[in-house]
Amino acid sequence: MNAIKQLFGGNTRQFGMIFALVALVVFFQIMTEGVTLTSGNLMNLLNGNAYILILAIGMVLVIIAGHIDLSVGSIAAFVGITVALAIRDWDLPWWAGVLLGLALGAVIGAWQGFWVAYIGIPAFIVTLAGMMLFRGLNQFVGKSNTIPVPEDFQYLGAGYLPEIGPNTGYNNLTVLLGLATVALVVTMGLRGRAKAARLGAVVAPMWVQATKLALISAAILYATYLFATGRPGTSLPIPGIILIGLVLFYGFISSRTVIGRHIYAVGGNRHAAELSGVRSKKVNFMVMMNMAILAGLAGMIFVGRSTASGPSDGMMWELDAIAAVFIGGAAVTGGVGTVVGSIIGGLVMAVLNNGLQLLGVGADATQIIKGLVLLAAVAFDVYNKSQGKPSITGMLSRGLLTKNKPQAEAVEAAEDKIPTRA
Amino acid sequence: MKIMGKATKFAAVTAIAALALTGCGRQDANTDAGAESSAAGFDQGATIGVALPQKTSENWVLAENLFNKDLKDAGFKADVQFANGGVAEQQNQINAMITKGAKVIIVGAIDGKQLGNQLKAAKEAGATIIAYDRLLLNTKDVDYYVAYDNFKVGQLQGQALLDGLKEKKGNGPYSIELLAGSPDDANAKVFFDGAMDVLQPKIDDGTLKVGSGQKTFEQAVTQGWKAENAQKRMDTILTGNYSGSKKLDGILSPNDTLARAALTSVKAAGKETPIVTGQDSEVESVKSIMKGVQYSTINKDTRALVEHATSMVKDLQQGKELEVNDTESYDNGVKTVPAYLLEPQIVTKANVKEAYVNDPVLGPITK
Amino acid sequence: MQTPPTGHQSPLILEMRSITKEFPGVKALADVNLAVRAGEIHAICGENGAGKSTLMKVLSGVYPHGTYTGDIYFQGAVQSFRDINASEQAGIVIIHQELALIPELSIMENIFLGNEPTRFGIIDWAAARVRAMELLARVGLADSPDTPIKEIGVGKQQLVEIAKALNKSVKLLILDEPTAALNESDSQHLLDLIRGLKGKGITSIMISHKLNEIEQVADSITILRDGESIETLDVANDGVNEDRIIKGMVGRTLESRFPDHTPQIGEKFFEVNHWNVAHPQIPDRMVCKDSSFFVRRGEIVGFAGLMGAGRTELARSIFGRSYGKFVSGTITLNGQDIVLRNVAQAIDAGLGYVTEDRKTLGLNLLDDIKATTVAANLKEISPRSIVDRNREFEVAEHYRKTLRTKTPSVEEGVNKLSGGNQQKVVLAKWMFTQPDLLILDEPTRGIDVGAKFEIYGIIQELANQGKGVIVISSELPELLGLSDRIYTIFEGAVTGVVDKSEATPEHLMRLMTSSRVPA
Repeated sequence: MNAIKQLFGGNTRQFGMIFALVALVVFFQIMTEGVTLTSGNLMNLLNGNAYILILAIGMVLVIIAGHIDLSVGSIAAFVGITVALAIRDWDLPWWAGVLLGLALGAVIGAWQGFWVAYIGIPAFIVTLAGMMLFRGLNQFVGKSNTIPVPEDFQYLGAGYLPEIGPNTGYNNLTVLLGLATVALVVTMGLRGRAKAARLGAVVAPMWVQATKLALISAAILYATYLFATGRPGTSLPIPGIILIGLVLFYGFISSRTVIGRHIYAVGGNRHAAELSGVRSKKVNFMVMMNMAILAGLAGMIFVGRSTASGPSDGMMWELDAIAAVFIGGAAVTGGVGTVVGSIIGGLVMAVLNNGLQLLGVGADATQIIKGLVLLAAVAFDVYNKSQGKPSITGMLSRGLLTKNKPQAEAVEAAEDKIPTRA
Repeated sequence: MKIMGKATKFAAVTAIAALALTGCGRQDANTDAGAESSAAGFDQGATIGVALPQKTSENWVLAENLFNKDLKDAGFKADVQFANGGVAEQQNQINAMITKGAKVIIVGAIDGKQLGNQLKAAKEAGATIIAYDRLLLNTKDVDYYVAYDNFKVGQLQGQALLDGLKEKKGNGPYSIELLAGSPDDANAKVFFDGAMDVLQPKIDDGTLKVGSGQKTFEQAVTQGWKAENAQKRMDTILTGNYSGSKKLDGILSPNDTLARAALTSVKAAGKETPIVTGQDSEVESVKSIMKGVQYSTINKDTRALVEHATSMVKDLQQGKELEVNDTESYDNGVKTVPAYLLEPQIVTKANVKEAYVNDPVLGPITK
Repeated sequence: MQTPPTGHQSPLILEMRSITKEFPGVKALADVNLAVRAGEIHAICGENGAGKSTLMKVLSGVYPHGTYTGDIYFQGAVQSFRDINASEQAGIVIIHQELALIPELSIMENIFLGNEPTRFGIIDWAAARVRAMELLARVGLADSPDTPIKEIGVGKQQLVEIAKALNKSVKLLILDEPTAALNESDSQHLLDLIRGLKGKGITSIMISHKLNEIEQVADSITILRDGESIETLDVANDGVNEDRIIKGMVGRTLESRFPDHTPQIGEKFFEVNHWNVAHPQIPDRMVCKDSSFFVRRGEIVGFAGLMGAGRTELARSIFGRSYGKFVSGTITLNGQDIVLRNVAQAIDAGLGYVTEDRKTLGLNLLDDIKATTVAANLKEISPRSIVDRNREFEVAEHYRKTLRTKTPSVEEGVNKLSGGNQQKVVLAKWMFTQPDLLILDEPTRGIDVGAKFEIYGIIQELANQGKGVIVISSELPELLGLSDRIYTIFEGAVTGVVDKSEATPEHLMRLMTSSRVPA
């Protein structure tokens, strides 16, 4: 028992959310008689949810900064239809279409960011207006029609890595990516530990670190195996690669850069942030703009997956993204939340959806179950906080973002001994 | 890749080679993929996927029950799903059906243009695709289409409107309004075009007058087939164009749900009941026709459609050639889809009893 | 009503015996005893974190019966309060440091909140008004009961809280730091009121850091240290004075309230002239009127003034125009006129400002110590805008050691620290910006005696390094003990400047309350 405790940072609840996800996967794996963890299904899971998860990345930053964005679904739809029309009518190549979409997202984001940051209208209202505005623009521009996109654009939402090199029975590029990731994780883990030790921080014993890295590596390798051995012509899907890239990028931005710190600072206490020299208006503007760019990207990926852009694309996406963020431990009041947590929250919803579909549970019952899960996850978090226990969020952000920084464990062990000073 | 040193590159190649030797990679291609399953047939207990759109009308609920029953009776495992969450949900449902190894997937699409990649994956996994009620567009991965003849439905609706006006509203000219279905449903335009095929000459010669001036499909659409949207639009038109004692004689409505919404709106405005067309034979509308309120509906017996779809699945299972009766009309943009079309029937108060005499639900009501 | 006996003869109204309260991993209270006599004013003293508030939460049912061990006897009977309603039912009312009033509602509505007088289920506002007038008269508040809470000052809000308690027919009133946010005259009024209530038979328990007030009003004092009850002093008989209380609190006598310091004052380097600033919402109301002052290197300059005199407004408007609308005036730094349009420019120019209100303006309570320490100078540790977390850790460690912040690690959340340690983290944050001029707004508010002493030391050390320091404080003894020179401010204008050698409380108070600048 003590060994397990040490492994998970003195506290088995630390990975509560990840455990919930793993438990869910195992549950469905058993219930569906092994269909859940197959190459095909994992690809479905990624392809069918990548755009929601991409929205969740932008949304968590918006929510950390203390805002909300209700317009992302409509923006995705508007960008999607504009790009589809531009490609069809102006004969743009696919990459020019993507650039146009991102630029349009940036312009829309600047529009919303201007009202939120510089005029001071609550984001709830600005983006509620945006939700109607851009939905209407989508249907106006597209005349409520469904506009198809060419094959090469579809690669964005439904493509796979090419098969190169010798026929090994695996998708070679996927295998290489997997191995490179494992190498990276192990080196970074060990180097972080060494550096922390040099600075005189308390580090966990070597076996703890080793087991941890071994577990993470095993998980990556298993996923690599599944993705590399799907139907010929398939691999880690392109939306999945985009998503992983964005998670790493935004995870880094939010936890390791000055702008990331500023987002948390503005959401945590805007006045204190301003008095520390943070330009909160600029931060708010950038967060809203970034969200719209990601919404544009999500819209284009969905159009690629759907082979066409339609008048009701993106309906309710904002709510799926917001749900993912809150399941992932963000606080309504801002200042709290992590990119990784939100992705896990989104995956919990995605696995639930997928598993229930595999079991043939109807859409009505699925909605009911998802609603209850959202409520339960947040209630659990709130209950824990009210009991003075660290929240899932806290555990998550520490557990995941400092995984290559072992002194965190020692600190948390010590933390348990500190009273909540009255 | 550029940053990889020679040594790492070597290591990677070695690793892949080693993996290849272990032989636990993927099975070599084409064990079951791509094969035309219609020729070969498949297991009798196979899974059959049925992906239906949103639960917006009684007909779809009925179709769900019938598919579940008929497919099970025939010995198949039925997986019938509604996509209340929209296109994205339907895509995921079709993917899940593929994962479960469905041999035939019957698709009633929300938007027939947005399922290309899922259908492609389904074909590659060896499934046969039947478009149900709504054609799947811009994809080569659809094998059959089974539906009622929708252009015909439109024509019948247009004709019924004209007949009704002549019968009840004296001599023309008549003022009418047009309602169309949801723009993301490929059939909506077909219904509308069919109806206009009959009505347009009469509008041109002045017999019919569209009071609001909203004559195009884009102006007449009802987003998502939602009753509330149709009702709101009618409310606006009535206030704007039919103030005072101006009369509204007729409304072209593509289905029963919208027909009742339009009637509600007219009633609220205190106008005399106009001639209103419909479609789908919904219980409430059939009652309304009996009472002489709604003028007509279309009997596209869902039972017959589901029955035929099920018989197609049975034929596929046994490897038989499928019967089709239209190999020319349904060009989906990529290919001409072989179709089996059922004949729709117009129902007014005059023939309501005969029309539903064999219907277990509507039969008793109309007696 | 008959005046009940006070002091030693009167019976115990409250007895808390062997109270032990544990939080996961720590004992917040260990075997604490408290005996309060009917009709007395009983002060509870102790450093922050000694367990005062926890003890009061146990008493008032915030921590329900069963989550602690030990017994509570109130009016002779064992009590087991499930929640705060149960304790109020018994006549125990607690008034928290953070007032529980609703700003948008009127005084009357607040008094009766949760306790509305009803007739047939409908609020009887006529009866409420009569009762409210009565209660307001008892606490000496002349404002109309219809005035919204947000329109009256903190001092009057405190009185409304007491009126609210009186409405609940309180027998034992607990006041947690009642005068912490009040100025001298409001404090005095409040203390008089508490004494008056005592005359009417209401027992009070008072938690306060202001030892002079305790000495003035308390009948007995119970001292807590590190979660244990150390002793109970009888003010009248034990010859209690401030030093005696401090000795009990810290377990030793403080030689002096201020560390020894010989100022090394250099040349004048920072100067503000004819500074005029308007209120942010009301353009024709000036919050700073033609104010001029200067600071020399190595000098600690005090800003004295009553609450609302415009000291904070002056400081913040200089600090990158972070308050009000700038009208006119010049800032000269090292002989050069400079313009500071925003906080970032002010920080770059070498200014630092430690806010008066730590929790709402100074700290992001969600952050940990290390993130807070580097928050105002992130770019220093962020080459190419990427935060070097090892440097962050080093910097935070460095200040933790030099300022002797009491914490198990710099990864601790700042919300878990006591007020004094929070203030040290805020000081570290500003010291890390390497300012030439550091403005400290009420640097020792809500901080216990031991920590105050340390913070004075830090301030003096900063001055010794040749920095200029401005200290804004409402406590005259603090300014007199710390400053080399004191400016007095009244209604937005600088009314005088006094050298340390000439400063007396009386002289300063005169300047702080008059707009006439004496020759």
